[in-house]
Amino acid sequence: MKVGDVLSYAFGAIRLRKLRAGLTTLGVVIGIAAIVALLAISQGLQATITDQLQSGFATDTLIVSPGSGGRLLSGVRRGVSGSVSDFSLMVNDTQIINEIEDVSASAAVIQEAGYVNSGDRTVQAYVRGVDFALYSEIYGSTFVAGSGEIPLNPDVDAVVIGKRVSDPWKNGTTICSVGDVVEIVWTNTTVRPPENKTYAFTVVAVLKEVGGLSLTGPSDYAVYVPIGQAQSLFGTDECDRIIVKLASEDDATIEAVSEAIEAAFNGQVSVTSATAVLDIISSVFSTIELFLAGIAAISLLVAGVGIMNIMIVSLMERTREIGILKALGMKSRTVLAIFISEAVIIGLLGAIFGVGLGWLLANVAARVFTGGGFAAATGQAATTGSFVINPVMTPTVLLGAFGFGIAVSIIFAIYPAWRASKLKPVEALRYE
Amino acid sequence: MAAPVVETVELKKIYLLGKVPVNALRGVNLKVEKGDFVAILGPSGSGKSTLLNMIGALDKPTEGKVFINGVDVSTLNDNQLADLRRSIGFVFQFFNLIPRLNAIGNVELTLSIAGLDKNERRKRAEELLENVGLKERMKHKPAELSGGERQRVAIARALANNPSFLLMDEPTGNIDSKTAKEIMGLVKQLNKDEGVTIIMITHDQQLATQAKRIVKMLDGSIIKEIDQL
Repeated sequence: MKVGDVLSYAFGAIRLRKLRAGLTTLGVVIGIAAIVALLAISQGLQATITDQLQSGFATDTLIVSPGSGGRLLSGVRRGVSGSVSDFSLMVNDTQIINEIEDVSASAAVIQEAGYVNSGDRTVQAYVRGVDFALYSEIYGSTFVAGSGEIPLNPDVDAVVIGKRVSDPWKNGTTICSVGDVVEIVWTNTTVRPPENKTYAFTVVAVLKEVGGLSLTGPSDYAVYVPIGQAQSLFGTDECDRIIVKLASEDDATIEAVSEAIEAAFNGQVSVTSATAVLDIISSVFSTIELFLAGIAAISLLVAGVGIMNIMIVSLMERTREIGILKALGMKSRTVLAIFISEAVIIGLLGAIFGVGLGWLLANVAARVFTGGGFAAATGQAATTGSFVINPVMTPTVLLGAFGFGIAVSIIFAIYPAWRASKLKPVEALRYE
Repeated sequence: MAAPVVETVELKKIYLLGKVPVNALRGVNLKVEKGDFVAILGPSGSGKSTLLNMIGALDKPTEGKVFINGVDVSTLNDNQLADLRRSIGFVFQFFNLIPRLNAIGNVELTLSIAGLDKNERRKRAEELLENVGLKERMKHKPAELSGGERQRVAIARALANNPSFLLMDEPTGNIDSKTAKEIMGLVKQLNKDEGVTIIMITHDQQLATQAKRIVKMLDGSIIKEIDQL
């Protein structure tokens, strides 16, 4: 019997039992849709996070922060997590770091949370003390003025502000721009009772929009003051972290410099590299994806059991038909092929609709997630939110879902198909 | 001289009915030559259906041999048996048509099992159905056909692959007497005009007299052979 005839015979048999075949197919559709949707969202999330990290995290930089607890994303405030040691990183520790081979520059960052007052408007912002010259050397692509100019030898009252501090609602309504005098308010919590300190600064530049989460690099939500000024305002020489620019971004250099810095501070600092963070994120996501795919695969296995069930019922109902086919001279392997074909057709239909449905679900879920998360908090529409997940459909996911769907269908059809092919014609014909 | 179309030698079949062995065939020797029309006559339990299953290569004997066109059936493997069955035209008492296929589809199915392509088999199936007088009913499904019409479809299907013989099991057992006469007329005509070899199994004395030769069976043995010519 020709392949086309086998397929059309199998298709005819499925069409006869539309509802039953439809429900079985639905099982496969759900299983595959679950796999596709979960993987597409998770890969989209990974892409978004990686993207946002990279945009604020140059790959040729290291972050040195105090504490040995392996704080990956160096804490926004000292002591927020893990072990608090007596060790403090000082602004002039950059001198130690600069002596290490392959370090091309380093810049200390002092950071406190505060407010920016401009007229009657108030915006929350990180107040960061940095050396403008060094910082713009290290973050040449992100610490860039959108308007005004970043002075290399700034006046003591100069401030560079992030895009979102100037334009907090993303609609062009700026609360301050270049030339304005703004008040920076910082609450000193080291004294009792805590006291607010207010200083006047002149805006010299507004940064270009950085985008992303900017966990360590220049941020849209920060204001930058000269580091000497920050030291005197905050009354400290301790810094939050030191950013190190490397001569090269190859893994060996990153590794060697990281170790040298840790050694120079007797292991009391942790050194974080962009590549290390991205590696860890990607390995975390691999685990999550494996886990999600595993859960979804279970539903596909259930669908496989459904296929086996319908095939066995079908085998019982069609015993006599199989007897007739054999009496007409059909070979056992053709009977086997017909039954397997029925499963493949169900698996294929299930895979096609499953991939479509999964993709749809992933997009709907991404929208709901994006819309209900950041956007709701900031009152922005989903599309303008800073955290948008675009589900990702890789060829691997697509082919994998297809292959897995069809493979499950075939595997669960083998037993019933084999039984069908082994039926003895004389017994099958006698079957009522 | 060519080998007989069918020959059985000391054919024995013992099967278990529950735990009781039943001697369905006790050494049957039968020879059917080309162009013959043999009726195997016997009451139920005489072993005629078991004999049909052996001759049709649907079942294996316990002892003895079946030769079809000189080939020892017991030497054939599963695939060769399937090929052999294609040279046998089965006509069953309960028609055994595939319900979801229409008349022409049922005939075409046999041809597609034999590997004919679509155009060839469509043409051949139309011819066959026309020959059995079903030109106008080709697109009807078995459920929409009368018993006589269904049996005609079955006969057309049996003839599709130019079989070396037709093997009929109570071909009129499930249809009214008037239609039965017509069917028998068709069968006799096939035998007479086209030289189709026919082996027919029946318990109906009247029907058996239509054949050229009657083989009477009882309790798993042939008890009498009557040549009607």
